[in-house]
Amino acid sequence: MFSYVFMKLLEGRPETYDRRVERVAGGHIRAVKEQIANLVHPGDQVLEIGCGTGELAVMMARRGAKVTAFDASEQMVRAARTRMVREKLEDRVTLEPLEVSGMDRLESATYDVVVSTLVLSELSPDEQRYAIKHAARVLRAGGHIAFADEVRPRTTWQRLRYQAVRFPMLAVTYLVSRSSTRPLEDLSGQLSNAGLEVTREERSLGDAFALVVACKPQEGGKR
Amino acid sequence: MNLFKATWGFLFRLFPCPTETGLRKIGNPSEESPVLVTCNFYTTVQRLSRALRGQDVWLLVAESRGVNVWCAACGNEFNTRSVVSAIKTSGIEEAVSHRTVILPPLGAAGISAREVEKQTGWHTRWGPVRARDIPAYLNARRKRTEAMKRATYTLVERLDTALGSLFPFYSLVALAFLGFAPHLLGYFLLTLALTFLIFFGLCPWIPGKHGWQKVLFLDAILGLALAAVVFWPPATTRPVRTILIMAMLLFALHGGELGGLSSTWASDFDPLMARLGLRAIGNTRFAGTTRTDLLIGARLLTHNTEDCSSCGACVAVCPLGVWDRGPDRRVVLERREACTACCACLTQCPEGAITAQPV
Repeated sequence: MFSYVFMKLLEGRPETYDRRVERVAGGHIRAVKEQIANLVHPGDQVLEIGCGTGELAVMMARRGAKVTAFDASEQMVRAARTRMVREKLEDRVTLEPLEVSGMDRLESATYDVVVSTLVLSELSPDEQRYAIKHAARVLRAGGHIAFADEVRPRTTWQRLRYQAVRFPMLAVTYLVSRSSTRPLEDLSGQLSNAGLEVTREERSLGDAFALVVACKPQEGGKR
Repeated sequence: MNLFKATWGFLFRLFPCPTETGLRKIGNPSEESPVLVTCNFYTTVQRLSRALRGQDVWLLVAESRGVNVWCAACGNEFNTRSVVSAIKTSGIEEAVSHRTVILPPLGAAGISAREVEKQTGWHTRWGPVRARDIPAYLNARRKRTEAMKRATYTLVERLDTALGSLFPFYSLVALAFLGFAPHLLGYFLLTLALTFLIFFGLCPWIPGKHGWQKVLFLDAILGLALAAVVFWPPATTRPVRTILIMAMLLFALHGGELGGLSSTWASDFDPLMARLGLRAIGNTRFAGTTRTDLLIGARLLTHNTEDCSSCGACVAVCPLGVWDRGPDRRVVLERREACTACCACLTQCPEGAITAQPV
């Protein structure tokens, strides 16, 4: 059992962000990112929404993908750039500071895979819908979306257990950073509403975390 | 839940109280109805909705992390980014046929009108400072009177902000009295009520430009009274002495940070922290910001007339009339002494003609 609400505390210090999130989450998010990176094939065009310090972008670039990654925080993008230089992946990863509200600038049907981890839960419901709409738009037919995030557990018992663990963390995070995250109500449903076919949903952390993979149907295929 | 939030937002407004962001309907708006932007502080949205009763408008609630327009804009929580995101993701573009958004002028320190225009393609206009002026503003075909552009600090506003900001602290003190010196609780509550009403009721007429100067004035009077009571003791001096000492302390606490209560007063607390060399508490920064530099006199608000095109962007947003148009319609730095260093003019100036020059 764990909640990622703590990560809001660590965002101010990109240089140690990954290591500290890892320490509090016990390797969980890294394992999820590896699962996502396994979906990528050499030569794929990949878009990452909210790349943070670029950990997942590195994993995907090492598998031979061409990654375009953006983040709303310029600080994070700078940290990610430094990392790409260190990993000698500058030519495989394009980084840009960009808000979710700027996603309409991205070209339609360009990417084979669109990925994102722990980003949607930081957005308002309107921004979530907007991000998913544009993620679906920029995806090529037959391409995949892989989103991993905090979600609302499905049973009452799991929800109670989750809240009991999350609340103290939320209180500390809120007092220090005056910010918080909001677990997603229905990630799979939101992806289906955007015209995607959900092919996989894996839950972890006491049902409070989900990795959802969805596919954009081929033109003329069944919806 | 709503009652809890309303109470919390009123009495504990030092803490953020967020409400859902996004598009709301007031009345029965059509695709031609005006679009107003505000922050997502629960109490602001509640009061704004009440002031707009009877109107048909779209209300676009943008992210400010549950803080009011003025504080969130000065603290960069309510900014260009929040407004751009609200316009593009809320669905307002499908709901209306026009492309004009009315922004709250007390948000001008954080929201750059020309950046919003550039990033969204929408036109922007600054609305009235106070929510209660909005119906008159809309009826006057969106023309603002001079009074609508200026921030005020009326009796009701003083009592409202002071009660809302000081309540958490004084309730803790009252609890401490209840626990450790219950026999003094009555005196404390009586003195609190009296000093509160005297200080915030008479605030504009108490001598002194800064809160602490007003406190010095009042405490000097009380000090003389205390000396009189000590040296010429009538029969019942003890309670009088207790009340006088409590009143002196309470005046100091009431007046310690007037700037934190009103957009018409410059902060005393921030420059003090900056002078003490404190960089930040949590997300609130002190030393090294343009704002505090202006307040401690390390920088000076400067108008570079050669670069100025007299577009009036600064005149439109300054809530205190620091900027104005001269007889020849050219923009002039009219009342520098009234400036509270919110930096709205610096944010808006398209020519970079307004700067905070190091002294």
